[in-house]
Amino acid sequence: MTNVIELKNLTKLYGSLRAVHQLNLTVGEGEIFGFIGPNGAGKTTTIRMMGGVILPTQGEILIDGISMAAEPVEAKMRIGFIPDRPFLYEKLTGMEFLKFTADLFHVEKGLFEEKSEEILKLFSLLDRADELIESYSHGMKQRLIIGAAILHDPRVIIVDEPMVGLDPAGIRLVKDLFRRLAGKGTTLFLSTHSLEVAEDLCHRIGIIHRGSLIATGSIDELRQLARVQESDLEALFLKLTEEEVSS
Amino acid sequence: MRDVLTLLRPRFLAMKNRMASGQQRDRMLARLCYGLVGFVFWAGLFALFYRVLKYFKNVEVFGDLLAFKLLAMALIAFFSLLMFSGILTALSKFYLSRDLPLVHSLPVPSEKIFLARWLETSVDSSWMVIAYSLPLFLAYGVVYKAGVLFYTTLFLNILPFCLIATTFSILLVLAFAPILPAGRMRSLSFVLGVLIFLLLLISFRLMRPEKFVNPESFATLLVYFKDMEMANEPCLPTTWFFDSIRAALSGAVGKTFFHTALSWSFCGSLIYLATWVSGPLYLKGLSRTQMVQGKRPGFSVLRRLPWLGPLQWLPGPVRAFALKDIKTFLRDQTQWPQIFLLAALIVLYLYNFSVLPLEKAPAQIVYLQNLFSFLNMGLAAFVLTAVSARFVFPAISIEGGAFWIVKSAPLSAGSYLRIKFFIYFVPLFLLSELLITATNVLLRVTPFMMTLSVTTMLFLSPGVVALALCLGTLYPDFSSENPAQTVTSLGGLIYMTLCSGFIASVIALEAGPVYTIFMVGLRGVSLSMAQWIWLVGSFSAAVILCVMAFAIPMRIAIRSLDEKLGG
Repeated sequence: MTNVIELKNLTKLYGSLRAVHQLNLTVGEGEIFGFIGPNGAGKTTTIRMMGGVILPTQGEILIDGISMAAEPVEAKMRIGFIPDRPFLYEKLTGMEFLKFTADLFHVEKGLFEEKSEEILKLFSLLDRADELIESYSHGMKQRLIIGAAILHDPRVIIVDEPMVGLDPAGIRLVKDLFRRLAGKGTTLFLSTHSLEVAEDLCHRIGIIHRGSLIATGSIDELRQLARVQESDLEALFLKLTEEEVSS
Repeated sequence: MRDVLTLLRPRFLAMKNRMASGQQRDRMLARLCYGLVGFVFWAGLFALFYRVLKYFKNVEVFGDLLAFKLLAMALIAFFSLLMFSGILTALSKFYLSRDLPLVHSLPVPSEKIFLARWLETSVDSSWMVIAYSLPLFLAYGVVYKAGVLFYTTLFLNILPFCLIATTFSILLVLAFAPILPAGRMRSLSFVLGVLIFLLLLISFRLMRPEKFVNPESFATLLVYFKDMEMANEPCLPTTWFFDSIRAALSGAVGKTFFHTALSWSFCGSLIYLATWVSGPLYLKGLSRTQMVQGKRPGFSVLRRLPWLGPLQWLPGPVRAFALKDIKTFLRDQTQWPQIFLLAALIVLYLYNFSVLPLEKAPAQIVYLQNLFSFLNMGLAAFVLTAVSARFVFPAISIEGGAFWIVKSAPLSAGSYLRIKFFIYFVPLFLLSELLITATNVLLRVTPFMMTLSVTTMLFLSPGVVALALCLGTLYPDFSSENPAQTVTSLGGLIYMTLCSGFIASVIALEAGPVYTIFMVGLRGVSLSMAQWIWLVGSFSAAVILCVMAFAIPMRIAIRSLDEKLGG
């Protein structure tokens, strides 16, 4: 399996605060990687560094073999980035926001027309496509951002808390979409608070605590690591993070 | 009363905490600087009114008439400003504040909430008008050698005057809120408020108040007297204030207190009425503003924006940001009043040039025409600076919470800033050229001055816009509810200072050579070799300065944005 995401010694300092420390990780093609950890563990900081939204203090990020530091524009062209809070341009309509994204990612006109309608229909936004984003609910904005992120068929989708603000139908829709995209070879890196989502969706899980990656692997591998049998992810998570605190 | 004070407490506590935290040092410094500028302006106003009133006082027969006519006109202007400011503040305090859901969920009677908001609105909308009306009143006091009675009357009248204007504004807002379309309140009211203000401003200017000091412009002396002595409406708050001041200046104690009592009794009744009608009206209007409707772009012309067609030929990322910025700007109705205001100021600017009494001046007309044209270059550049401060300086901050889109977009900091530069440069450059050409046409200047003005603006404009973009990048405020207000930050102050210095330097470099060329032309002689060298050197220095004012800020802005993208 080709490595599409490579994080090498990734470190981020905010003054004296070590938000992320020496993070080393690879994620393969078509893999869904879940990133879980307690509040303030460094999940969002890692995600933002991967999306090129903030620069690391040290270390390297390779997206599809392209260095985010050396060729940020090329690396970003391969990413669909979905932040945790859906801040958008409120005075654009949903359709105009998609066109804005398409222009930024050089999506051709014909392809845009075909894909935008498909995406809006998929996310139940077609009827509201010509309304200003300021009148959308939180969940609708989140769906629009997810739609915009997949518009240019990215090699990698980086998602921070994908299910926040979505209703149960929206959650199911997004889960199915992510599975389908992974099946087609898209790599997904998602951080989540919801252990249920991670357990249900991810091929591999990484647990980050106090800026360091303390465990990675499939659910079974994590069970072995935590020396527990038949335990769910919540119990595993608590055990691993507690062990880390006590050590 | 305790509930009202409790409702006001968060405001004072927030102010106290802000000052204690020290995080606002930059902002405090900026406020201090703006305070100083404000004080200089205040002192200038006092000096101006003092001179005018002193002049009036020395005019026999008409002197006092002129002085009181000025007072009556000023009071009407202040009342209009108070009403305008009151409408905008009341809208914000009563219907648009973020804390309204919290405040209305508290176990406090709605009239207490109304009174707390009324008090806040009155203070916020009046303080500046009071501050800038004081130089006028003080000038009257000094010129007419007024005693304690005048200052006491002033104090006793200015309060009900402001409260009446604000309460009227609040009543207007309360009456219109329940019938305005939900979700459109902010935009419609802002537009209406500014339109009223512009109407007043333009009508006041077109009245040509300067004609009152020139009796020759009236057909007969009788018409002039009639115009001056026109009685004020007895039922207007401005009349009560005017009559109180006039009586105080003439030492008529009884009359003074009678008119003051009229003001206070009306003020009290109005506040009672407002509190009473707020019961059925306020919550009804508030409920409408809280409704969220599916909103489509306002007007078909903005929805389709067919005139943006040519932008389709631009490269993808450039088109994306250009279209986004233009659409966002045009659809944000809170921006429209400022466009109207700008348009009105330009009309007045051009109108003032059209009525310049050049033919009455003792100097040669051709000399004055060209002198005004030269000074006008500086004036037009300062107008461009002010417009850039309002529109270009916040260009980065307006991305707000959506700045993550810029950061995660496949676009370099340089490309992003160059796109922003051209989006703003093109309209502002056209505006400055329009201003300078139109005023020069009105002044009927020589072809040399016309060419010089147009060329100077061509070289100045990129620097003015680049400086605004640079300082806006160095001092962004992504969390501001109204990015336009970021110009009052330290960055805005530095921008205004740097830009003024830049414009003044270019104008100064051109002043000497232009004067020489002009005088040589008037005397009919030719330039000496030394004068030629000085000319070329001076103009070259001006060009180099303009290029540097564009290139250096752009480079600094790109570096700064690169760092910001690094978090």
